[in-house]
Parts: sequence; C-alpha cells; structure tokens
Amino acid sequence: MAPLRSLEKDYPLIDADFQGFCASHGILTVEDLLIHDLHALLAKADHLPRPERFRQAVNQVLCIVDGLHRPWLNGIELLRRTSDFNRVLSTGCGGVDSLLNGGLQEGQVTELAGPSSSGKTQFCLLAASTVAAMHLCCVMYLDTGNSFSSKRVAHFVSRVLGTTSEEDNSRSFQQAMSRILCCAVFDIFSMFALLHQLEAKLKSQVRGSVGVVRLLIIDSISSLISPILSGSGSQGRALMISAGALLKKLANEYNIAVAVINHTVGGENGFPKPALGETWKTIPHVRLMLSHDFGSKACHVSILKHISLAPGASTRFVIE
Amino acid sequence: MEVRRWIEGDETAKEMLERVFTQRSSLALPPPLHRIPLRSGDVVEIAGPSPSAKTQILLQAAVSCVLPKEWKGTYYGGLGQTVLYIDLDSKFDVHRLLQMLKHRIVGANGHSSSGCDEEIINMCMKRFFYTCCYDSFELLATLKTLHYRLQRENLALENHGHVIMMDSIGAFHWMDRACTSFVLEGYNRKSISFQNVMVIVVGELRKLLSVHSMVVICTKTANLGNYVDDRNFGKRSAPDNPDSLRDIGNGRRPVFREYMPSIWQSLVTHRIFVQALGDQVAVRKHRDGMVYSLEWSLPCLSFSDKFVVTDAGIALV
Repeated sequence: MAPLRSLEKDYPLIDADFQGFCASHGILTVEDLLIHDLHALLAKADHLPRPERFRQAVNQVLCIVDGLHRPWLNGIELLRRTSDFNRVLSTGCGGVDSLLNGGLQEGQVTELAGPSSSGKTQFCLLAASTVAAMHLCCVMYLDTGNSFSSKRVAHFVSRVLGTTSEEDNSRSFQQAMSRILCCAVFDIFSMFALLHQLEAKLKSQVRGSVGVVRLLIIDSISSLISPILSGSGSQGRALMISAGALLKKLANEYNIAVAVINHTVGGENGFPKPALGETWKTIPHVRLMLSHDFGSKACHVSILKHISLAPGASTRFVIE
Repeated sequence: MEVRRWIEGDETAKEMLERVFTQRSSLALPPPLHRIPLRSGDVVEIAGPSPSAKTQILLQAAVSCVLPKEWKGTYYGGLGQTVLYIDLDSKFDVHRLLQMLKHRIVGANGHSSSGCDEEIINMCMKRFFYTCCYDSFELLATLKTLHYRLQRENLALENHGHVIMMDSIGAFHWMDRACTSFVLEGYNRKSISFQNVMVIVVGELRKLLSVHSMVVICTKTANLGNYVDDRNFGKRSAPDNPDSLRDIGNGRRPVFREYMPSIWQSLVTHRIFVQALGDQVAVRKHRDGMVYSLEWSLPCLSFSDKFVVTDAGIALV
C-alpha cells in the first residue's frame, strides 16, 4: 500500500496540492485511487486553480498503475515463454507418468486426493526423490503430519541413481539427498510464512540454473485448512482461497510444479469425494483420486479433472 | 447558416444504420454459444459448478474470434476480432488453445500444409492478448489502463472489434469479503470490499463497452446449493447457507447461490448455465467422456444443449 506522499520524491507532479485534494476525498494510497472513479474525480477537480496540472498528475498515477499489473502478452510471446520454461517432471512412477502425459507439469497445481493409506505420501516421497535425483533440482516438502521418512527417501534415491547400498557415500547420492528440503508446518499461518519466504527466494534465483526449487509438495493441505473451515464463517474460506491463489501464483510466475495432498470425505452414494468442499475445487489444475486395492500392493489412480485431458482416465501402479 | 447546418443534421438514417452495422456488427459464435447472436455491448455470463468445461467454452469462442473469415482463398468462418483474455484463475493453457486452432485450420483446409499453416497461426496468435491477475487490485489496475492501451493499439491495427474474456469473475470474492473487516486509518476512506471492487469493475467495463465495439464474456463458478429433485423426494441434501436461490425452470431444477452483487447482475445481458451430467443421469458416458449440458437462462430458452469436449474443441451431442 504505497501512500501517495511517498511517491512525491520520484514523481514531482504528485505534489502537496494533489495529495491534499485526494485526502479530502478519502484517497491516501494508490490502492484507494484504484477503487475510486477517476473520471468523477477529474470532474470535481475543475474548480481547482490549476486543473491541467491535476490532469497531468492523474496521468502520472495511471502510468504508475500500469506497472502494477502483469503485462499483456500476445499469443506468440506466451508460446515462447511456456516452451522455454515449462517442463514436465517425471514422478518416478511409470503408470502415473503415462496417465499425465509425462508427469507433474511445471506451472500447474496438482491435487492428489485419497482415503487413508492409499499411497499418497509414498507417491509424494517417490516424486520428490525422482525430481531431486534425476532432474537435479531442489524439492521443497512441507510435512504436516510427521509422515516424511528420510530412510524411505534414501531408498528411492539410491534406486533412481542405480546404487546398490543405502549407505553409499557417493557424491551424487549426497547431493540428491541435500536437494530435498523438508519443513514441518502445523498450522496455516506458518505455511503462509514459509510460502512467502519461498517466493522471496524464487524471485532472486536465476532461471535455468542448477539447484533451483522446481517442485513444492504439501502433505497434506487438508490438515491445515479443515480446522479453520466452518459452515457459515467467511474467514476460513478466505484463508483457503488465499492459500490456493498463492500456490497458483508460485506455480505460474516461477514455473514450479506444486503437488498438494487432500483427504476424502463421504460423498453421494457412498463414494468418497475429496475434502475441502466446492470452493476448493477451482484451485487445482489437475485433480487425481487415489485408492488402494484391497489385498494387493497396487494403487489405483484416476483423473477427476484436468485442464487439457479428459476426466475419467485411470491406471494402476505399484510402489515398491 | 450555423442554424441551418444544425437543423440539417450530420448523416441520414441510412448512413447511420450502415455505419452502426459495420462498426458494431453482430457476432455469431460457434456451438455451444450459437443459439443467440451477440451484438456489441453484450455481456455474457457463463455460470456453472466446477468442473463444467467453462474454460473450454471460452477457448472455443476465442479460436473463432481470432480466425479470419476468409484468407488466401480458404473460408475459415472466423470473426477476425481481437481477444483480450483476463485470467483471474490462472487456469489458461496456451497449448490447448493452439491445439484447438490447429484443428480448426486443418479442418478448413482439408489437409495440413505446414507453410501456410504457420502464417495463419502466427496471424491469429497475434490477435490474442493475455494477462493474469492474482488479486483485485491487479484486476482494477488492468481495467483502468485498458482503455489507453486500446487507444494506442488501435492506431496501429485496423479497427476490428474486441472481445474481452474474463475467466472466473468471482475468483477474489472470498478474499475481498474477508478484507471488509480491515480497519483503515483516516476518515472518509472507502473500504476494500467486494461491493466496492465490483462497482469499479462494472464502471470500467461500461466505459469500455460504450467507447469501443466490444463484447464481454465471463465465466463464474456457481456453487450449487440445494439439489431439488422433483422426481425423487428423498434425495435432498443439506442447504449451503443460501442467500438467494434461483431456479432455472427445467425438469430437474438445479438452484445455485448468487454471490455477485446486484450491480454486476444488472450489467449482464445474457446468462448461461453449464453443468456436467455425470452424476445426475445414471450412466451417461459418451465415448469421449463427460457429457455437459448448457442452458440459456437469460433470455430463457426452454431446451438445453448437450456437448462433449474433444481434442478439437467442443462438439454438440
């Protein structure tokens, strides 16, 4: 919220007269100016001693406002931007990779929903290991339920790298393990704090260099959001939507893949449906439903929603 | 002499009609929006629960808008307009747009020839402009500066019409509702509430619609409240705190909660309701997947169209 007086130094047109006139109409910051009708304001300024100067000041503010939103890109520039940067990250699980046309897409938020012990955490650990070992980039893992197991990750990493023993001290193993950053979060506010720190870090890192964060996993986002969601209050839903918007912004602006885990609740006709309600449905780009086949090691995954594939496709996979 | 000139007028009625029909011509969009032709100045709202292929409908309309009517002897049937896509949901996939465009071009040509295709694809993609907004302030900033940007660019391009597409107008609704409780210092300050933001959005859109020849198409996520099933009385789920229920008179009446303020509702001139038919009809799986139904609620048509989403776009069933 930049107050108008702080702009006076760089933009001398926004002088004390202009600020005074705005303050008399309740406009103290640039955001206030955005929620006022500028033409009505200009009309009221006609009785001022120097209306031309006022008009110039308003034009100056509009130029500043022009810098506040993302730039308009045409189709060609968009294609260039996405083909240069957005890759597909393999998850290490052949079945899921083929279902999703290669794996987790950078720039998209993927949701994995499933009842307990349906393989969600195992899948995330495998994906984190594969991305760290094969794609040589950092993974940020937010763990809300103490389910992160470094032993399991070491097993997956050594399997991807092809080394036989877990205690192998080869450089690549050490480096791959050190690329996975695990943080424990237990409430939504600490998650917000962590994500803002991540955003600051992503802003400063150079695109295309080795060691940048390309995958963010939140296990599980429903345990952070469900406690604050109540039936009629709007604060809980506002926090949920803000969290979702922040995740989409991180994915879109900094080209990372985001994977979030959701649990399920009972739905119509006894089939489980993902938790967090109708309002959450608009947040993820891709929604997958996992379930565990009774009596076998195989897990079943199906697409509930995808922005470019047909829903309903499904496959089975096994995680050793 | 001055008075005589004033009485005689600037143009005859015939000249006026010719001018209006060329500058503000009507748009015939492809299925599933083909039932009602749109005139410039219209605001269309496509509402539906998630997921219901609303973004796919927008992309299909965008492809038709950027294609030219005819080019190098081949008839494409497009509208030759510029599309300004404001993405509030960050759901846009440019490769999907390209895929749909390529299918249309190959369909019109009868075969694909890479040389010609490249040229026309480049021409169409240059007419498509995209921006995304992550909160209401960015949306307001975009709309306020859009008029000046259009004026600058109109000097360069020929004067085609524009279509503004906004994906999910209610995307920031919960966040703005929570902002109402912020305490601002200073007297006389307008609080940042959903109502105030929408007042400015509607004001800017009205100004744009009156100055430029433009159509606005928006999607809106409609949260289903009650399922009122006339046939099976037992299937009644708990209401979701409805503020105002609205019926869309049809056999099985879905009602949804309207959360957009009345100023937005007064701007909208056409309303469409889309939903997936997966769970309402027992097993209704077309070979391409989910079947969706589309109903025009304003102006109210008594039948509904059914469509599926294919690789090439949207196909009516």
